[in-house]
Amino acid sequence: MLSTREIKQRLRSITSIKQITRAMEMVAASRLKRVESRVLASRAYTDKMHQILSHLVSSSSLETAHPCFVEKAHEVPVIKIILITADKGLCGAYNNNIIQKVVRFAKEHADKTIRLVHIGKKGNLYFSKGGYSIEKYFPENVEKFGYSQVKALASQLIDGYEAGEFGQLYVFFTKFHTVMQSFPSHIQLLPVEKGAFEAKEKLQREYIFEPSADKIIEALFPKYIETQLYQCILESLTSEYAARRVAMIAATENAGEMIDELTRSYNKARQESITKELLEVVSGAEALVQH
Amino acid sequence: MAKTFTFEIITPEKVVYSDSVESVVADGTEGSFGVLAGHAPLITAVQTSILTVTDANNKTVRFAIDGGFLEVMANNVIVLTDTCLKEGEVDTEKARSEKDSAEKAILKVGSAGEKEKAQAALRRANTWLKLANK
Repeated sequence: MLSTREIKQRLRSITSIKQITRAMEMVAASRLKRVESRVLASRAYTDKMHQILSHLVSSSSLETAHPCFVEKAHEVPVIKIILITADKGLCGAYNNNIIQKVVRFAKEHADKTIRLVHIGKKGNLYFSKGGYSIEKYFPENVEKFGYSQVKALASQLIDGYEAGEFGQLYVFFTKFHTVMQSFPSHIQLLPVEKGAFEAKEKLQREYIFEPSADKIIEALFPKYIETQLYQCILESLTSEYAARRVAMIAATENAGEMIDELTRSYNKARQESITKELLEVVSGAEALVQH
Repeated sequence: MAKTFTFEIITPEKVVYSDSVESVVADGTEGSFGVLAGHAPLITAVQTSILTVTDANNKTVRFAIDGGFLEVMANNVIVLTDTCLKEGEVDTEKARSEKDSAEKAILKVGSAGEKEKAQAALRRANTWLKLANK
């Protein structure tokens, strides 16, 4: 049994923990609101971009000479992975889920060289210990990772692919669904799978292209990679805040329960000590009277 | 009443415009063109320019778009662009200051990429001003 003093100390520390988790929950909630609207807005853009590209690929007879469509997996046994994680912990299983997915993927593709590019500190921390080859790590905050940086990264990746530095490029990110639900997922960014662009319904007519299909693909393609990458980052960011918010709500609730319990045992201990003291006084008085 | 089709302008930030319209006039890389209902399927790159839309009530709305792509597909027309400002949304002062800084950047010695960027910024600022002045 703890003494009243010890219980009081624990109560105090848990109360301040509760305050902190509540504050973190609120911060996460407000950030979530901000990025959530951004992710939903840019989804429309990304989807339409995908749609236009798929129309382009499936309707034009061009046996696309664009190098990003050419399979290189057999020639270059190197897989590049972009992993998007959070910079901070305290967001439930968010980081762990996506990291484990990458670990599983790496095991399945053990015959190939895997190179990692990290956006977010947590992924970098995990993989720097395990003997993985880390090619690049962006130390800035995931939230500050703006479109211009995505643009630079995308053009680097496309150049690298064309030069034959790697045979496949995957992005591992967490897809945001609802606040309670998000899915660790991955997409293959390069080479572009033609299958992903097969139009669902056959197009009735041929498109007119201006200036020419090749030129449009050339201009549209880097944009497509950029928007995909940017979308992945936004999705991950939203999932992160959602996960953090849920984790902090749970933590606040747990702290509340603990405070209740401790208060109860504090009261019990206090009462017991009062009873004990009373008994001592009474028996002391009795002993005096008997004299 | 003339036939209409659905028209959308989408930027990474938001869906700027989505309505059924009568006609769209835009500047493609190969010159200006118009789209009416029943247009043949088309995919084209558009320039940083002013895009004129006539909606179902015969009102014209003008937008300054910053490059991008336009797709016509079965009476659906979509414009994807980086930024888009509606008529009356242009901040003239900001456009002017951007124009000035772009002009300065062009005169400065820099790499070809920087020059191109500055020129793009200048075109954008000019389009904004053009939209604001009319």
